[in-house]
Order: sequence, then C-alpha cells, then structure tokens
Amino acid sequence: MKFLFTIFHDEQALDDMPEPEMQALVDAALDYDEEIRRSGHYIVSNALQRARTARTLRVRGGKVSVTDGPFAETKEQLGGFFLIEARDMDEACAVAARFPPARIGIIEVRPVLELRHS
Amino acid sequence: MRYICLVYLVEKEMDAMTKTQADTCTEESLAYDAALRKTGHLIAAHALQPVAAATTIRVRNGKLSTTDGPFAETKEQLGGFLLIEARDLNEALQVASRIPMASRGSIEVRPIKEIAR
Repeated sequence: MKFLFTIFHDEQALDDMPEPEMQALVDAALDYDEEIRRSGHYIVSNALQRARTARTLRVRGGKVSVTDGPFAETKEQLGGFFLIEARDMDEACAVAARFPPARIGIIEVRPVLELRHS
Repeated sequence: MRYICLVYLVEKEMDAMTKTQADTCTEESLAYDAALRKTGHLIAAHALQPVAAATTIRVRNGKLSTTDGPFAETKEQLGGFLLIEARDLNEALQVASRIPMASRGSIEVRPIKEIAR
C-alpha cells in the first residue's frame, strides 16, 4: 500500500537557521532517504522550492487562469514530500516519525487511492 | 526540471457525483497519466484517499504526537498529485493545465529543490 507524506514547516524559521544547523538537517534528511531505500519503503521524494515560487491554476470554461503563490496560505508551508510503500497506516506513521525534520515540522500521512479502469 | 502538481478538489462535490461521472473522471485521469508517461513527462501520479483518512504527525523533544485528519483545513482538499519532468515552468504549467481535474479544482505547481550534502 502506498502513502504520501507531505511535510510542512515554517519557511521563515528555516531561513533564520544558521547554515551549519541547516546543512546538518539536510544531511540527516539524506541519511533518512538512504535508510528507507534500504528498508524498501522508498518510492520517490523531493524537497520543494519555497511556497512563493508556486503558481496555482484553474481551468474554467476552457480558459486557464494562473495566480502566483500556493493554493493555500498556511502558517507552515509545504516543503517536501515522500511517496512510500508500507503495510498499513501504522507502519507508514512509524516511518514518517523517523524523518528528522519531523522534529521541527509537521508531516501529514495519507493513503493513496488506487484508480482502476471501470 | 521536476515539478509537483498538487490537485485540490472539493471532496463533497466529488462524493456527490454519479457513478458514471466518477468513472469518467477516473478514465480521463488514467488516460492523461498514460499520455504523460508516453511523452516522458510523468514520474509519478496518484489520487489520494479523502482527508478523513489522513494522520498528522509531530515529533517534539523526542515525543511523537499524532492527530487524525489533515494538517490544514481548506475549502478544497488535496485529492492527488503528479510529479512531472518539464523543461521549465511554462511547460510545467501547460502540462498542469491539461490535467482533467483542472477544470473542477485548482492545481498548485511547484518546482522541486535539489538538496545535497
């Protein structure tokens, strides 16, 4: 079963972090990547650029409208994601809790919905 | 360059669809995934279970706390995502604008950030 982790953190707090502390967090996150690759949980993950780099688009009546910025303004911003394979929600949450930035951010864990041809 | 396309939809509207409408949405989405796979744009794409199925996790001072439900309560809910490869933001926006659900919801497009030791 597949799960999506979405990782939220306060971008300002990250920007204010001293460089060595930031690099230590990045290194820990990369170690975690390797750890969950070895355990067979890893499918794909990426960090994301800052929320201000986002564009949000809608198509209505065949017309595309694009606005600058993320879809939702939140106190903490989406900073990355993981797609993982786990037996069930409990295992997925246990994997998520080991992600080092979980100490400063918030992780939402959501099961994937498998779309099938009708 | 990689971009993530986050698909936000009103879950209630999706739930209110007839089976035929829901099946059409599924077929359109699967067809677009297949088309993007063919053109080499698609890395991964998945629909998500409803926000009610989410668990939100925090670890503070080594202590884990979990809450049921999504991180943010929003008018529209994250219903799926596509991770794509595109030349630039313009191409990413073009790919995103053809996502079938773009005509029902909102798509946030965000470039990924390469991180290194």
